[in-house]
Amino acid sequence: MTNQDTAAAQPAISCRGVWQVFGADAKSKLADALDRSGTKSGGDSDVAAQILREDGLIPAVQDATFDVMPGELFVIMGLSGSGKSTIVRCISQLLQATSGEILVDGENLVEASKSRLIELRRRKLGMVFQHFGLFPHMTALENVAFPLKMQGQNKPDRLARAMEVINLVGLEGRENSYPREMSGGQRQRVGIARSLAVNPDIWFLDEPFSALDPLIRRQLQDEFINIQATLKKSIVFITHDITEALKIADRIAIMRDGKIVQIGTPTEIVLNPVDDYVREFSKDVAKGRHARVASVMRALTADDKTPDDPGLRPGMTLEAALARCISLYDPVPVHDETGKMIGVVDPAVLAAALQAEEA
Amino acid sequence: MKAAYLNMTTGTIAALIAVLTGAFCMLLEPTLPWLVTWPAGWSLPMSDWIGTSLTWFLELIKPAMRAFSMLLAYPMSGAHALFAATPWPLSIGLITALGWYIGGVSLAALGLFGLGFIVATGLWLESMSTLSLVAVSVPLALVLGAGIGILANEVPRLRNAIQTVMDVMQTVPTFAYLTPLLFLFGFGPVVGLIASIIYAAPPMARNLMLGLDRVESDIKEAAIMSGGTRMQQLFLVEIPSAKTQIMVGVNQCLMAALSMVIIAAVIGGFKDLGWEVLLTMRKAWFGPSMMAGMAIVVFAMIIDRYSGTLASTRQRHDWRIASGIAALGVIAATATWQNLPDPSSITLLDPVAKWLDAGLTSVLQQNGAALDAFKNGSLFYGLLPLRIGLDGAVLPFTWGFQWTGMMSLVYYAIWAIVAGVLALRGRAALGLTLLIFAGIIETGVAELPWPFVVIGAGALGWVSGGRRLAVFATLMMTVLLVSGLWDRALLSLYLSGAAVITCAIFGGAIGLLCAVSPLVWRIVLPICDMLQTIPLFVFLIPVLMFFQIGEFSAFLAICLYAIVPMIRYTRHGLVNTPDELIEAAISSGATPWQTLREVRAPYAAPTILLGLNQTILFAFAMLVIAALIGTTGLGQSIYGALAKANMGLGITSGAAMAILALVADRLVQGFANERRQALGL
Repeated sequence: MTNQDTAAAQPAISCRGVWQVFGADAKSKLADALDRSGTKSGGDSDVAAQILREDGLIPAVQDATFDVMPGELFVIMGLSGSGKSTIVRCISQLLQATSGEILVDGENLVEASKSRLIELRRRKLGMVFQHFGLFPHMTALENVAFPLKMQGQNKPDRLARAMEVINLVGLEGRENSYPREMSGGQRQRVGIARSLAVNPDIWFLDEPFSALDPLIRRQLQDEFINIQATLKKSIVFITHDITEALKIADRIAIMRDGKIVQIGTPTEIVLNPVDDYVREFSKDVAKGRHARVASVMRALTADDKTPDDPGLRPGMTLEAALARCISLYDPVPVHDETGKMIGVVDPAVLAAALQAEEA
Repeated sequence: MKAAYLNMTTGTIAALIAVLTGAFCMLLEPTLPWLVTWPAGWSLPMSDWIGTSLTWFLELIKPAMRAFSMLLAYPMSGAHALFAATPWPLSIGLITALGWYIGGVSLAALGLFGLGFIVATGLWLESMSTLSLVAVSVPLALVLGAGIGILANEVPRLRNAIQTVMDVMQTVPTFAYLTPLLFLFGFGPVVGLIASIIYAAPPMARNLMLGLDRVESDIKEAAIMSGGTRMQQLFLVEIPSAKTQIMVGVNQCLMAALSMVIIAAVIGGFKDLGWEVLLTMRKAWFGPSMMAGMAIVVFAMIIDRYSGTLASTRQRHDWRIASGIAALGVIAATATWQNLPDPSSITLLDPVAKWLDAGLTSVLQQNGAALDAFKNGSLFYGLLPLRIGLDGAVLPFTWGFQWTGMMSLVYYAIWAIVAGVLALRGRAALGLTLLIFAGIIETGVAELPWPFVVIGAGALGWVSGGRRLAVFATLMMTVLLVSGLWDRALLSLYLSGAAVITCAIFGGAIGLLCAVSPLVWRIVLPICDMLQTIPLFVFLIPVLMFFQIGEFSAFLAICLYAIVPMIRYTRHGLVNTPDELIEAAISSGATPWQTLREVRAPYAAPTILLGLNQTILFAFAMLVIAALIGTTGLGQSIYGALAKANMGLGITSGAAMAILALVADRLVQGFANERRQALGL
């Protein structure tokens, strides 16, 4: 689940200056606001957003620019109304973005024809919905087979494939149940299975676990991580739950009022929040469980003595590291997987990093 | 809903039973003719029994009722005198002012121009007669309805009974209860008044019950915890919270009262708008009859929009401007006090009426052939076969050849093969249903063997709502069978059935179009609104103008009225699919057409079925009114009974009509419920 090292490859999804503005005559008014604020030539997009708001329009997504690498799990997080659901609908083209480019494997979806979009949805894109979006008049199996039916597959083939996916999400035996006969957790498994039926490269999940009980939620998160470990889809995952985001994400984008305020790895978000809004999110998070040793590591200097080696690795969480250094004072070495020493950590710094959250 | 026997679904078994019954009757017809036509001697003289016992009972309460009607005559003549004596500029000023206060410039304009139009037609006094009837009946209907609604709310044990009585009251055709009222109260406007009170009270009661039901339990509990008595809870908290729904009830009550007041004109005795329409229609003066019809529509629109706005918006407009408008009215009235022309002598629009007449005549002359062709085509190729069957309708005169027994054989053989092929493909129920329809068209609804209809209704009830509904449907049809009204009931069934099928096809298509294109909906919506505001009576005018008296005109009038719910519900069902389902379909790669067929349509099915249900009830309601222009079924007997003051016939025919409507209603509701459950709604 690495990402930075694949930066050279073409991104799976690439958003360039995406705006979604709601209100009458949004397109021309946005163009006008962008001109006046000079956003395109490097000006501040906040100015353009302000102009739009004063005009009575709602900029639900403001100048969103980010890449999702192949196989990356990209989480978009924000409070309700921050525009996170809107942005995923722009990318999946359920909404037509007011302005900007959305490239999927280099193809600009904004300019794609209707039939091309249908084609893409039938082969390449899958989506999971917060309230499941299951068709009430179809069984679990028929729901899962629906996208295959849209592709025009014949009945035996599509039912066989649907059954495969039903097994993948652990619903064997329930395939002939109707949605109304299933629990919330089971329904979302059907939703997940349906979105995977066509084996898409790109997977959108819009708060898939938000409507579930905490216990079921954790169970499905774990299964989701397992599924992703084998399937390696490029994922855009929407959530309002920071714990969920930190648990599953390769990278997180945090949104506020339609604007992406920070993009970073879970550790960066927790340890270096760019502003109070982001800090507020990570406040309740036990940093020790999310921040890694690498984030407090420094280079070895000449006068460092490292008498003890508790066996720290850069990928360890701070909590685990502290447990090993609890009675140590001198700097301790950090080794990478091959055993090479790549830096040292001061136990005092380690403790201080953990305490920062209590302040 | 799967039955275990032979792996057949309930639907297949039911269809099979119906097919076998039909085939059985047909085979035995030569030897046992009573299997097809119910012998007249077997019928019970229900009309006579009911007539006799009802006469006895009504004689008993007649003195009290006559006294009551005398009592009612006072406020009525008072209101009439007041409205007729008020100079019309003043009335217009006051109503325009009220319109401004309630809804601003648009309502004020509606009031001003609408009433102005009525003055110009010279029908001002007739309108005031109608208004005085409405003005007296509505408050009474409101009080009665509110009383019933509160009673049902406060005494839950009575609730079901009250609901049933109101269901029946709404399905019994209005004409039917005019006959006993006539007997009780004698000729005169009071009968119309009382009929409209009875007719207009249920909508108020229903909406009040609904509104009280929907008050949130938090609010009710807060009222209890504040220490209110039950009456305080009801009047200080629950009824005010239900205000919007109650105002909807008031609006519906007004419209129902107006509609009934106008229908009641058939019993005559009062020079009001309904009478004017009837009179001019009978004399075939279409121009004036159009004018009177328009006056009714204007009247209905004013009442509907005023009360509707009162119900839906809280915001009121500047009372000072309203007072100004009213003052203008007063000034105009005083200024013209001495030389105000008698409103009946105003003939501003007479030229228009004449021009309309002339225009119509020339249009009829020019397009007479096309209109006749349309009418005859529909009759020969649609209505007639449905009524008397292909074997009776296919004649050298109509179709150009004679239907023979051989053709029947070939016809049935073809459909049997189609059914067989479908059965082999696992669609047995569909195949058998097609076969049944083919059979009905060959035989004709009016000539269907009675065992087939009775058992068929039972089978349909079984599929739609299980054993109880099956028993109910069979029983009800049996009552019809022995009542001596069977032939007429079949004729009514045929005409309303033809109208319902037509409405379902065209209404469904229009609804679909409206769901797909917002532009079409913007055009159709006001037309639907208008069709629903127009009192039933008025629908007769245009069809009569173009197609003369006869079954085809009646059929068209029924279609015009009954198509509206089908359009509305179809569109509503298709449009109101939850967003997430649509998004799920789109993101599965469904085209808009696929989304419509695979997701929207199944999801909308229960709603569309409810629309169909409404269409059926509307069709039955209109069927009776359409009796005025020539139908042959139950409607005609009700109307005839009214003319001859034959109470027994009137009541039994009304009841027969209500039975047909109730059975149809329960059957469709059963299917709708089944679909809803299947969707988990």
